[in-house]
Amino acid sequence: MNFVLKNALRIAGAAAILISAPAARAEYLSIHLKVYGLDCEVCARGVSASVGRLPGIESVNVSLKTGLLDIVLTRGNMFKMSDLRKRIKENGFRSMEATVTAVGRFNGSKFEVSGTGESYELGKKASNSTETTELTFDVH
Amino acid sequence: MRRVLGTFLLGAVIARADGHGPAFGFGTAVLGAGDASVETQYMWRSGVSMLGPEFSYGLTGNTQISVSAPFHLDHGEHPVGRFTSMMPGNPEAEVLAAWRFHHRLTGVGTRWESTLYVGTSISTQLPPRTDGPPLGRAPGFYFAAATGHISRKYYVWAGAGYEHYASTSVDHQSDSLLGSLVFGWRPPLWDMDYPKPDLRFFWESTGEWIGYAWRSTAVTSTSIHSHDVLDAEAVADSLAVTSDTPSLPTRVPPNPLPNPSGNYNLPNSGGKAVYSGPTFLLTTHGMAFQGGVLFAVWRDPNGTQPADRLRAVVGITYFFLKGRK
Repeated sequence: MNFVLKNALRIAGAAAILISAPAARAEYLSIHLKVYGLDCEVCARGVSASVGRLPGIESVNVSLKTGLLDIVLTRGNMFKMSDLRKRIKENGFRSMEATVTAVGRFNGSKFEVSGTGESYELGKKASNSTETTELTFDVH
Repeated sequence: MRRVLGTFLLGAVIARADGHGPAFGFGTAVLGAGDASVETQYMWRSGVSMLGPEFSYGLTGNTQISVSAPFHLDHGEHPVGRFTSMMPGNPEAEVLAAWRFHHRLTGVGTRWESTLYVGTSISTQLPPRTDGPPLGRAPGFYFAAATGHISRKYYVWAGAGYEHYASTSVDHQSDSLLGSLVFGWRPPLWDMDYPKPDLRFFWESTGEWIGYAWRSTAVTSTSIHSHDVLDAEAVADSLAVTSDTPSLPTRVPPNPLPNPSGNYNLPNSGGKAVYSGPTFLLTTHGMAFQGGVLFAVWRDPNGTQPADRLRAVVGITYFFLKGRK
């Protein structure tokens, strides 16, 4: 009886830990990314379609005239900036500077985007606060 | 009937006309990784009309594999070179790999890039000939390179390719060389943003050299065409025509002589020519519509084969883009 009870408690404990552990969610909210080389409708459609399949993408708008990808993401997504840049390269184009809005926290002069393992050096604008915050910044 | 069938297929088959670039000449663009396209081109030139289905798949951002299998709707007798840079001029199944080895993305909508093409083919049809057995071709090998500058306003591409037929048959079609220079322009009126339609116009010039086909035995052509009238005196001099030879109103084929391999050049085969003309490319909703004509601006045929003064191509492409909605 004790054996059964002990095991039941262990299983319940493990389940509670699993349920309470927050999943690693990325918190990119929007990205305005400049892309070099896009010249035609088919190229834009291909980039729009393949970027749109990345996890957490709510919408993608491509402008051939400005070379800008305007990406809106869902909250709590699994998106990574590195995946976006890789996807652009796979389409035969080059991702350049971006303006990013994301949720994260400062670690020294770096801003770490929640749940992604990705961080950005923001230099003098660094904050000593360790609070999670929403920030818009430029990435080069 | 075959023309009707061809027209039907052209309208019905979803297709790709090398949707990023020129209709005839060499371009550099390749599909994105995981993207695919299906194309059909209808190609016409003197005495020959073909339908050319093609499938392309983007392996990486800079490599692409294409399979095409053009077939005759009507065929002529004179051996021909490639119809377009991406499409054989003879009925063959060709696998063509493209590698964009140079790719400089220099700004919004602009890039410099260069692409190598390597292909191999087998014959799917051997057109019958009145002067002997069909001319062997397969296996065929194709090597080409193209370079170009691409922008939202202008396009410039230059390229060249060589097709070698390695058939062991003694009745053999010759190799051919194709070069091209293409200028493209997007009218300001059509410089619209995605997802609106995208229209571009090109002026394409191609130059080709096709060698003599050959046979194991000499063939004397009696095919003389009034539209190939040349300087009869010059021709007579070159052939050492005697005084009792009747005057020559038309060009005559050269005397059959064994070539270095001991075979005989086939009269009315091969030659050199330059073509030039306008083409267009319209892309919308993930499809491309392409067409154009080339006019012969200079011809130097080896024999008296029918004049190949005009070439036309129309094509439709459907793109299977990753995650297409």
